[in-house]
Amino acid sequence: MRNFRSVRGKGGMMRGPFNKPHGQPFRAFVPHIPFDLLQCESAFPKSKPASDEKSFTEALLKRNADLTPNAGEQASILALVTKIQSILDNLVIAPGAFDSAQIEEVRQVGSFKKGTMMTGSNVADIIVMLKTLPTKEAVAALGNKVLEELKVQEPQEVLSMLTNETGFEISSADASVKCLISTIPPNLKKLDPELHLDGKVMQGHLAGIRHARWFEENAGHSSIKVLIRLLRDLRNRFEGLQPLTPWIIDLLAHYAVVNNPSRQPQPINIAFKRCLQLLSAGFFLPGSVGITDPCEQGTVRIHTVMTLEQQDQVCFTAQTLLRVLSHGGYKQILGMEGNSSIATEMSVWEGVVVTPSDKAYEKIEEKEGKDDEEGDDEGMETQENS
Amino acid sequence: MAHFVYPMANTAQPASGYPTAQTAYVAAPQAAYATAPRAGQAYETAYQAAHATPQYAYTTRTPVAVTPAVAYDQTKAYYQPGQAVAAYTTPETHYQAAKPSYSTSSSYNATAIRQQAAAKPQSVQVSTASGSYVYPASTSQATTSYSGASSYNNANTSYDAALYTAATSYYQQQQTAKTTSNWALKKQSQSKFTKAKGPPKQPQLHYCDVCKISCAGPQTYREHLEGQKHKKKESAAKAGSAPSSTRSHNQLRCELCDVTCTGTDAYAAHIRGTKHQKVLKLHTRLGKPIPSNDPVVITSNSSSTVAAKTAITTSQPTKTVVGKVVSSATQGTKKVLATPKITFVGGTQLKTTGVKTEEIKVDNKPEVGDTSSSKPMEEELNILGEKEVSPVGHEYIEEMKNDLGKVVSFNCKLCECKFNDPNAKEMHLKGRRHRLQYKKKVDPNLQVEVKPSIRARKVQEDRLHRPSFKDEFWRRREQEERWRGEMEEDMYWQRHYEMEFHGRRPGMMPPRPFMPGPGMGMGMPLRRPDSSDDRRVMAKHATVYPTEVELQAVQNMVTTCEKALKQVSDLLAESDAPKPDVGTVKKEKDGKEDKEKDSQTDEAQSHRTLKGVMRVGVLAKGLLLHGDLKVNLVVLCSEKPTRTLLERVADGLSKHLAAIPENKFEVKRCVEEAAIIVTSEEDPKTTCIITLSSPVMRETNPTNGDNTPAVKDPPDVLDKNKCLEALAALRHAKWFQARANGLPSCVIVIRIMRDLCQRVPTWTPLSEWALELLVEKCISSGGQVLSPGDGLRRVFECIASGILLPGGPGLCDPCEKEPTDAAGSLTNQQREEITASAQHALRLIAFRQIHKVLGMDPAPLPKFTKQRFNPRKRRRTNSAGGEVDDAAGEKKDKKDGDEAMETVAEVK
Repeated sequence: MRNFRSVRGKGGMMRGPFNKPHGQPFRAFVPHIPFDLLQCESAFPKSKPASDEKSFTEALLKRNADLTPNAGEQASILALVTKIQSILDNLVIAPGAFDSAQIEEVRQVGSFKKGTMMTGSNVADIIVMLKTLPTKEAVAALGNKVLEELKVQEPQEVLSMLTNETGFEISSADASVKCLISTIPPNLKKLDPELHLDGKVMQGHLAGIRHARWFEENAGHSSIKVLIRLLRDLRNRFEGLQPLTPWIIDLLAHYAVVNNPSRQPQPINIAFKRCLQLLSAGFFLPGSVGITDPCEQGTVRIHTVMTLEQQDQVCFTAQTLLRVLSHGGYKQILGMEGNSSIATEMSVWEGVVVTPSDKAYEKIEEKEGKDDEEGDDEGMETQENS
Repeated sequence: MAHFVYPMANTAQPASGYPTAQTAYVAAPQAAYATAPRAGQAYETAYQAAHATPQYAYTTRTPVAVTPAVAYDQTKAYYQPGQAVAAYTTPETHYQAAKPSYSTSSSYNATAIRQQAAAKPQSVQVSTASGSYVYPASTSQATTSYSGASSYNNANTSYDAALYTAATSYYQQQQTAKTTSNWALKKQSQSKFTKAKGPPKQPQLHYCDVCKISCAGPQTYREHLEGQKHKKKESAAKAGSAPSSTRSHNQLRCELCDVTCTGTDAYAAHIRGTKHQKVLKLHTRLGKPIPSNDPVVITSNSSSTVAAKTAITTSQPTKTVVGKVVSSATQGTKKVLATPKITFVGGTQLKTTGVKTEEIKVDNKPEVGDTSSSKPMEEELNILGEKEVSPVGHEYIEEMKNDLGKVVSFNCKLCECKFNDPNAKEMHLKGRRHRLQYKKKVDPNLQVEVKPSIRARKVQEDRLHRPSFKDEFWRRREQEERWRGEMEEDMYWQRHYEMEFHGRRPGMMPPRPFMPGPGMGMGMPLRRPDSSDDRRVMAKHATVYPTEVELQAVQNMVTTCEKALKQVSDLLAESDAPKPDVGTVKKEKDGKEDKEKDSQTDEAQSHRTLKGVMRVGVLAKGLLLHGDLKVNLVVLCSEKPTRTLLERVADGLSKHLAAIPENKFEVKRCVEEAAIIVTSEEDPKTTCIITLSSPVMRETNPTNGDNTPAVKDPPDVLDKNKCLEALAALRHAKWFQARANGLPSCVIVIRIMRDLCQRVPTWTPLSEWALELLVEKCISSGGQVLSPGDGLRRVFECIASGILLPGGPGLCDPCEKEPTDAAGSLTNQQREEITASAQHALRLIAFRQIHKVLGMDPAPLPKFTKQRFNPRKRRRTNSAGGEVDDAAGEKKDKKDGDEAMETVAEVK
């Protein structure tokens, strides 16, 4: 798998040369480091004893238990994944009669691999990297081959196979496995959109492999996994947080749990709140240093995948939620009571009226003000990829 | 290190007095002295000797009661060798060099001294005999320009004229000190060479007084004198530079060896060391007085030294000697007198008082608050400096054992350093660096002594080198400059922008001569040059900054009030206690007065009802905004302020103010507020609120009034809460000076935020103190120098992340003993609203709409020329502006709206 190291550059190569078209002198962009309470706790000693967060912590853990798939689900997905993996592995070692595609490598990725699956979406991801060019026909042939083999093993099981633009998906009654197709990096340049799968998608899959590996190496702590589950749940329930991608959530959770002066994993209640605090403090706003993608070359701040409008939206939603949380509304935030309207409508908590934050972002009128704002734009960027 | 030179010179020579030699001369000297008429040289030497004495007198500050005749004789004896040397015909280079220096001192000085020479040395002698060496106190005193004052106080009044000159000229003193030392050295060697007067006992000894070593023979001795080491030491002594000056506040000296140690432990180690023992032996052999020979003396020495040190630690930045050690050797007692900084003392020098208070303001006003207003607190602080520091973090010391299981070294895991010596380990545990690490990594609550800020130190140094006899005009100029400097310093950014475009602003002060403030001289570390946010913030800042007229008016008001208060204080003091001491000090500076105070007993102090006046609030902090014409002063009283006192002060004040023709002031009493309100009737209508308070108010304060002693509390004591508030305001001002003033961008951001609080109703409930704390915490925790724009953004981020929300940590008030939330008075709803507002503001800033936050016109910046400072239009930045602007402009072209696919300029 180490050979992927050489691949890493790819993503980075995409940007760079043609993003600075006017040959303007290089101007260093020094990102702003947003306020992070945990990083400067010494400057803010507690002026009163910390409030008791036991019930909040319990609620978090309960919510996590609710979100974790049950044993049955886990068993069925595991069984399916194992079977498919072994079939594909066989194809790598002994292609035999199957000649429509050569498989370079098969890897599990995504939430199944990371151990952050959530109940209700029993889907695992496997990336199949082809040595040959990923034509749509080859993908379909591979899918059929896998299905055949499965049927040979378990004749009575009801299985279906569907191809799509990323690969194919094999579903059993209560689990499904997405086989995502990619190809070896040298092939990426040879792709023809008419014949092959989309190059961008395949790059994304390669990134997925890197993400999985990074996660394995760095984010094994179960607090991180719990937090990821909680954040993904939060994202699913509050529309304003939709722009957060799974990868952003992974990194944010990792940051919130581990990235503090003592480098000791933080308790879940603190980490959860910290996520909201970070988001509220503009961690993912233009100009902020945010989190640098550890799996990309150079400095890519992960929040630049969101548009400016989305950055604003994520920020103000988190800000509203933070205030609700501070006034004692954790049950609503965790979805144990009420609904998601707390993020968008006025609510009252122990006599305190919480007014939802409103968007601040405005499209900037183009020609006007340009002279004077002097295009202080470094912060205001988004990124094309993904 | 000039300061250190004195003591050395003094101790070594005049003080020591060469007991052995004396015996030989006792008879002769008297005669020699009596037959005073001498050749020029002899005369001069006598003068030198005499001149040295004043310094000596103040170094020891011995209560000179007993002056046995013997001592008198000895003194003379001590002069004798000097004369002999003088008579000696081959002048050496040192000697020659010495001459010009004292020719600089005025001539009448010398004559006066001559008369005194006989009387004066008595005090010298006493202290010598007793063997109490309290130099440390003197050393730091010497740093003030009026260091001579104390000696003056001790001296007879007839001595005044001479000493006044001595006192006023720091340099002269230095010179004299130097010469004396050289001379003494000279004398030594000369007598050796000639063998005329050599003590019969040790004909072989060739002792170098500068280096404290003995040489085997005249040849080696001469070689030594030629040698580099000796020259170095000598020139160091001359130049008055010992390496320790910068941090002198924490050091102990071994007078015998002329070695400076950084702490009691180091000192003790030195005393134990071989080098010291060697010198000790040598001195014993030479029969020189040995200051620290006797272990008892050592301890009393070192402890008294410590006391002196700690007292001075606080006083140093403020540059008046507050604490003093009076160590009378006979009894072995020592006491530390802490006198408040801005004291009202008898004397008529109003301007001096003005200057004084001014200095205090600039330098380290808070210290004042502390020393004077709360002695208990002061002790707390001081003690941290040296004495009571208890080692922390034992558990982080790792013992490294060798194969045999013997502990060979220690490893401090916090600071990652190693020691082989258990003593070193102990010292490290008490050390500042370790404590800082401990505070940072383990217990944020650990108190670590705050070093006097670089700026304060610089200011002090500057003062040191300024000739102290500048005339009134200069003093006044200085005062004004400083006063404004307070405000100006954070105008750095402002100026920065101005200069960028059209050089210096006409109305602007010349750049401050010293300590340009952090961020100015050292240049910013790699920051984005200046973003449009920064420019916006600075433009806004220019609009909220007070105008020259306002500044002038406020300053005028304040100085007038301070002067008037001083007069009132004088008046009250006179009527309450017609003390003789008031008369003795006339045209002297405050420093002298302080010392004068010291020399007097406490009672002299207590007779003054109004002890001092301090500026507090926005005035002291330099946070005035455009339109802020209300300033606060706090008058500290020696007793609980009463209504009667208030009336008396108000009466006196209105009388004095009425006497000033060019200003019209109205004086109002406001008993509920424990204050007198002075309003100017001229145009910018400034108001000065003078609150009476006293440190004694605090003592009965502990939380609830249960234990208020019914003891003789006057019936009409002013409202306690108001008085305590005033004391808190003093502490706040002190804190501000120490923490916020030097922080780049901090004051600017606070002004911007103050303006916001005044403009936006949501923010109004946030108190100013809470705001100041918050901003300082945000900016100081930023980890790097923040530009004003970044600083402002960070403050909003901090609030947005819920610092004020119910679950947050709150703002711990550093000026209260108990953990207190400085923003504790906010209701939850207010907290919620402020947070929501900050959250929105943060996003506005991020999305380039900072003008909405600042309440500015969204119109392009150039229209916001800083008109109040310079009506000239600012050059359009885009027309011919720097490439930065051009670049940015182009970049802008490229962008098409928010969807633009823009990637990060990479800054790894």
